[in-house]
Amino acid sequence: MIRFENVTKTYDPNIIGLEDVSVHIERGEFAFLVGHSGSGKSTFIRLLLKEFEPSEGSITVAGRNLQRMRRAAVPHHRRSIGCVFQDFKLLPNRTVAENVAYALRVTGQPARSIRRKVPEILQLVGLGDKMSNRPDELSAGEQQRVSVARAFVNHPSLLVADEPTGNLDPDTSVGIMQLLYRINRTGTTVLMATHDREMVDKMRKRVIALGGGKVIRDEDKGLYR
Amino acid sequence: MRFRFFFSEALDSLTRNWVMSVAAIVTVLVSMFVLGIGAFVFFNLQNATSGVRNKLEIEVFIKNAASQDQINQLGDQIKSMPEVKDVNFVSKDEALNRLRESMKGHEDVLNALSGNPLPASYEIFLKDQNNIDSVARKFYTNPVVDNDISSHLNADLSPSATSMPVSAGDGTKFTAGMYFRIDNEVMRVSGDPNGDTVPMARAQVGTTAAAHGAHSEIVNTDGIKTGGETTDRVLKATNYILIGGAGFVALLAVASILLISNTIRLSIFARRREVEIMRLVGATNWFIRWPFVMEGVFTGLVGATGAVIMVLLVQNFFVNNIVEQMPFLGAETVPLFWLLLFIIGGGGVLGSVGSGLALRRFLKI
Repeated sequence: MIRFENVTKTYDPNIIGLEDVSVHIERGEFAFLVGHSGSGKSTFIRLLLKEFEPSEGSITVAGRNLQRMRRAAVPHHRRSIGCVFQDFKLLPNRTVAENVAYALRVTGQPARSIRRKVPEILQLVGLGDKMSNRPDELSAGEQQRVSVARAFVNHPSLLVADEPTGNLDPDTSVGIMQLLYRINRTGTTVLMATHDREMVDKMRKRVIALGGGKVIRDEDKGLYR
Repeated sequence: MRFRFFFSEALDSLTRNWVMSVAAIVTVLVSMFVLGIGAFVFFNLQNATSGVRNKLEIEVFIKNAASQDQINQLGDQIKSMPEVKDVNFVSKDEALNRLRESMKGHEDVLNALSGNPLPASYEIFLKDQNNIDSVARKFYTNPVVDNDISSHLNADLSPSATSMPVSAGDGTKFTAGMYFRIDNEVMRVSGDPNGDTVPMARAQVGTTAAAHGAHSEIVNTDGIKTGGETTDRVLKATNYILIGGAGFVALLAVASILLISNTIRLSIFARRREVEIMRLVGATNWFIRWPFVMEGVFTGLVGATGAVIMVLLVQNFFVNNIVEQMPFLGAETVPLFWLLLFIIGGGGVLGSVGSGLALRRFLKI
């Protein structure tokens, strides 16, 4: 699903984002990306989304080589990846349903299928009764659920979460983790960057540890350490 | 569906940032208004000057002493010239009739005349107006042609004429008690001590041709009048006005574009969160751009519509009130359809260029 081959990314001047990283993540896998701030987690995710190019090496996502991808194909590439962020990235002046519908609307889906899919996915994340609320009327955990719903409403084959529990208390985090786990069970590959030691240790999934831009550890059923 | 999405997003931006939007709209309005008024002035000048051009180009006055044979011979000679398109004989009676008609309401001026002082003439129309001078020159030495028309007329007509400079529309100074052309009529400006210049005023810009004495540059010889030089001068003046006006409009257009661009920049900034999310969920570049383009075009169109309304109001006011008082101005309104198309199109162009500029500089996708 994800293939990083000897990927190096340097920012000018000579700041290393990633250095010679080779990682393979299989379809349907659940993987944690752990490491301190500045260890290269965000660079990894932004390279996946083709927000910028690697300085060296090649990246393949879902069988598509990102270096050979035309600019016009980038939006379609991003549609196949669902994204969840620490700060939710919800539109504050729109209702929950509109926020989720936004992802469908900008991809040009017909109104009828939007009307069908949005309540469906909000039921799935447990927000069926909060559809017409605005994000600021929701708790942080609920907002993150909206964000997950928006990421998953297109049923992408890959879901990328950048510290989704970073702003949440432990109990709420468990709820989000359960949601991501359920999404993974449907066959979706989930890659989650996190600082959350407790969560990583509890889940016993694959752990890829980054440090100083390098992969310092990669083990199945690993611990945060 | 898609269009509605873009439209509502654009409208949302416009109202959210309404102070800047209004500023941009007003700038577009002013520049398009100046453009519209310029089009109005240009249209009327064109009408006036092309009117002159299509009218008589050379008029050859015939001495009263000329015999009918000589007159016919001159006519044949003119007809045989390759440069001549058409020639028309105007008898003395006809000349007077025309003068009478053009001076309706001021017959008292004519009644002061004894007999018919007007000479017979040939009106010559050329195929190519550039030949005016060369053709006219051929008549300078013709014995039948009256090359001393002014003294002849003055002697006949207005011994008591006071010398009173008046001005035609193009600034040429004339002296009262002289003859000049108005809409193909030879007519005299009376030396009315009250300074009644109404007959003079009916001379449209550039239609005056023969004038008394040295006051007019357009008399090659007294007996041969050409309309070409006046027309050229009017056209030259028109060109200066046009260049100046175009420069002014260009400046205003640049200001509008920059203001629209700045407005769009602000709304890109205000919507950066939306833009970021759109990118993340895989919206195509044009999907992200369209609402901003529409916002710019909308700004331009609203401004242009305001300008059209103002131009129409000014035109109507001008045509109804001013032209009524001073009919010699003979202003006409620009055909509505073209005006609308011109201004609205201009507004749309300003808007799209402005938003294009902002998108290129501030919306990195």
